[in-house]
Amino acid sequence: MAPVKPPRPAPDFSLPDVDGKIHTLSDYSGKVVMLNFWATWCPPCRRELPSMEQLYLDLKGKPFQVLACDQQEDGDTVFAFTGQLDPAPSFPVLLDSKRAVSKAYGVPGLPTTFLIDKIGQIAYRAVGGREFGHPAIRALIEELMAA
Amino acid sequence: MAGTVQSTNPNNGLSNWQSADTPFSLQLLQLMPDNVRAVYSNKGFPPALVEEMAGYCMFGSVIRNLADEPVSYDVADWRAITADGVRHPLRTKTEWLKIWQSQGVDFGWSILPAAQTLEVGDWGQGFTTVKLPHGTRFDLDYSWRQHGKTFHAILKGLQCAPEQLPVPPRKP
Repeated sequence: MAPVKPPRPAPDFSLPDVDGKIHTLSDYSGKVVMLNFWATWCPPCRRELPSMEQLYLDLKGKPFQVLACDQQEDGDTVFAFTGQLDPAPSFPVLLDSKRAVSKAYGVPGLPTTFLIDKIGQIAYRAVGGREFGHPAIRALIEELMAA
Repeated sequence: MAGTVQSTNPNNGLSNWQSADTPFSLQLLQLMPDNVRAVYSNKGFPPALVEEMAGYCMFGSVIRNLADEPVSYDVADWRAITADGVRHPLRTKTEWLKIWQSQGVDFGWSILPAAQTLEVGDWGQGFTTVKLPHGTRFDLDYSWRQHGKTFHAILKGLQCAPEQLPVPPRKP
């Protein structure tokens, strides 16, 4: 993931997850947030979800949160897809049905992932799929959690 | 030295072309008109617009920054060069979005971003489109910027997918 220089404030947002529960980014202040933009039809998005889930499980109990922000699909489509995954994502899967949040973040293509630090600044960005179990990514997150 | 590596998928007979030895990597994969129809019909595009899009020469494309520094590109600078020497501009995502928005539809994620900077390790994908008849052969002159300089490379021997793939002869 590439550093965002200089770090810039992460636009706040509130979006529903597939169960209708509203998640607001600023509620996760004090945690490092991995914000991922994806869609079910996007092959590299699908490929990176398992490693994202494993990372989330590995860092359970630490100040780290994953938010996966689906683009322009309905809840039934997303629910049907994530239900097939083994393991299914245990992090919130949000519905950015009108693309308002991806526009605010200037997302160029899917997937795109941001690392937001504990004070709400965008610190790193990755365009294109990644293997989130990679030690280099883990090290960036550990560094941000320790800051 | 930049070059082109061509291969064919034995399962579907479609070709793809990959740049070789360039820090900005480009791969183009033939896309059948019926695939284009399926993608955009499924997204609720009006039939006339779907047919217009299926009339374009379209490729799935994958771009990668293989350099150790940022690279930038702008599809508006790229040209498809046909055998008669004519340099055809590509239709960019920006141009498609204007057309789509006038008709109340949007699937911008499907088209390669018109211009962007890829940081180290970044990559992306999306369709590239050019108004050429199905089956047309051409070379693609594409460019990118790196440490303040513009670089050009040619993907050679590309061919738009045919309207239909030839049916293999039946075995006696």
